[in-house]
Amino acid sequence: MRRTTVAERTPLPVVALLASPLGGLVRAVARVRASVHVKLLAAFLVIALLFIAMTAVSLLAVAETARQTTLLDEAHERVGWSRQIEQALAMQMHFTSMALLSQGAESVGLILRENNRFNDTLERLQTAAPPEERALIQSIRVAQDDAMATVADIANALRDRRLADAMTALRTRQEPIYQKIEALVSSLVAAEETRMASLRSSIAAAQGRSLRLTAGFAVVSVALALLAGFVISWSFILPVREARGFLSEVAEGRFGGKIVVPNRDEFGALAEHMNWMSQELHRLDDEQRVAAEQLRGLNDRLALASRAKSEFLANMSHELRTPLNAILGFTEIMLDGLYGEVPTELREPLVDIQTNGRHLLRLINDVLDLSKIEAGRLELGVAEYSVQEIVDVVHASLKSLAIEKGLTFTARVAPDIPPAWGDGRRLMQCLLNLTGNALKFTRRGRVDLDVRLEGDWLTYRVTDTGIGIPKDEIDKIFAEFRQVDTTITREYGGTGLGLSITKRLVEMHGGRIGVDSELGKGSTFFFTVPLHTDGELS
Amino acid sequence: MRDRTVLHIEDNEYNRKIVRQLLSRTSFKLLEAADGEEGVAVAQRELPDLILMDVQLPKLSGLDATRQLRADPRTAKIPLVVVTSFALSGDDRRAMDAGASAYLAKPYSPRDLMALIHKFLPDN
Repeated sequence: MRRTTVAERTPLPVVALLASPLGGLVRAVARVRASVHVKLLAAFLVIALLFIAMTAVSLLAVAETARQTTLLDEAHERVGWSRQIEQALAMQMHFTSMALLSQGAESVGLILRENNRFNDTLERLQTAAPPEERALIQSIRVAQDDAMATVADIANALRDRRLADAMTALRTRQEPIYQKIEALVSSLVAAEETRMASLRSSIAAAQGRSLRLTAGFAVVSVALALLAGFVISWSFILPVREARGFLSEVAEGRFGGKIVVPNRDEFGALAEHMNWMSQELHRLDDEQRVAAEQLRGLNDRLALASRAKSEFLANMSHELRTPLNAILGFTEIMLDGLYGEVPTELREPLVDIQTNGRHLLRLINDVLDLSKIEAGRLELGVAEYSVQEIVDVVHASLKSLAIEKGLTFTARVAPDIPPAWGDGRRLMQCLLNLTGNALKFTRRGRVDLDVRLEGDWLTYRVTDTGIGIPKDEIDKIFAEFRQVDTTITREYGGTGLGLSITKRLVEMHGGRIGVDSELGKGSTFFFTVPLHTDGELS
Repeated sequence: MRDRTVLHIEDNEYNRKIVRQLLSRTSFKLLEAADGEEGVAVAQRELPDLILMDVQLPKLSGLDATRQLRADPRTAKIPLVVVTSFALSGDDRRAMDAGASAYLAKPYSPRDLMALIHKFLPDN
């Protein structure tokens, strides 16, 4: 599964390349047990060494060329000297002839000067000449010595005025010697020229070789650099691609897969850690799945239990009411005289039965209400209602209690209140609870009901001059079964659930409840609900 | 004019007894049934003028019995008061939905019950 997803994401040329021997090389490099750092350094080092070798070869070639050029220069110089020798020889011939013609001794001096020039140049040539030319130069020197001896003879003949002898010496001895020297010098020049030609071609060959070598090194270096770059980078890219596919699998929530990479470097270590992570995730996922399954089972059982509890409560509600109906019903028809006139002494206990029966009924109602709210099964019946009507009903049903206790009990509804939306009966229950409490906890003074509209909010307020609530108890009074003092329950009656239920009902309307109180002075309980309660809120 | 008949369907003997006591002083004729099935049978046989139906009954619930009686053309028009659990339980809405003419929350005051009976069966 993972293989195919990775293949889908890899471009086709890359797939082809990785299938080729190059791919094998990539995997081989990946398998090398060395760090990424070392692999990169090795690649750079190989390429750097190649460039160094290339430079060395080039330098050697340049040095060789320079040496040969020097040799060429030397040969060139020697050729020059040979030419000077030839010239000096020609001049000797010339001055010898001149000496014969002029029969003067001054020409002999010129001959000697040229002879010196010849000898000097030959000396230099002999020093610079390669060994194979030494013999040739030696024969030139010998010939020159002969020539000089002949010149001396000619000079002597001239001095002795033996002109014919001088002429003969010039013609028979001097000229052949000069011709011989000329031939020797020519062969020397020819030898040097041959050497120069060979040197020139050798230099050209060396330059060509050096160029080819350098180019070859450059091509190999660049190719190797590219290859190393490709192979090493792909030996890193391959595991990264694998890891990407693997990690997206993990991200999609498929744990327990395994990433396989040929690398034995940092990427290999990373892959191992990822496999470890995957296994851990798989294990945790399994555990979590099992836990979730258990929770689901538990939840199902709880839901079942909750439903059973609700049904039980609904049944109990009716079951409790049925005998209570009989108790209250019989009491009422007895008090109404259906069974005949009630004796005076029985009237009070009958009223006591009625009072306690009604209290029991309130308890049952409150407990069932609260359990329904807790179970989230209480639904608001949102409809249009009249605030005035609610206040009137509450006032009417509690008026007798107020009169009985000698309390002033008033109700005032602001005249500008339009028809409101909400669960009128539940809001009436809230107001009955608060007002009932106020009457219950007030011995002297008054209880005032008051409803006002402030913006889109209705505020129902019940103010009494009762016992009040200590500051540190104010926060707790809305909790279940909470009256400030349990003795109060006995003294004043009540279930201890009214405020808690009222708070929940007000909150279900999207409103809030509060109290201002001063111990011994009285309390003001109020709740604020929207003029138009959205049915969704319930 | 014949005596008008009230059928009281209620499984609790004491509650039946209260209604019996209440109606003993009046001219209404009282029929009684202790479960839903019997109640439907008696209603279809006797065609009473008013039916008082407890909401929770053995064999057939008060609401189902009400639906059956409303489905029967002979009993469809008979005034039928369902005695529900207390008003805020939601039984009242279910009772009206099932076809009740009115509902009365349990525990009810005998005075209120008599007022309701007189409302549906006024004295001529």
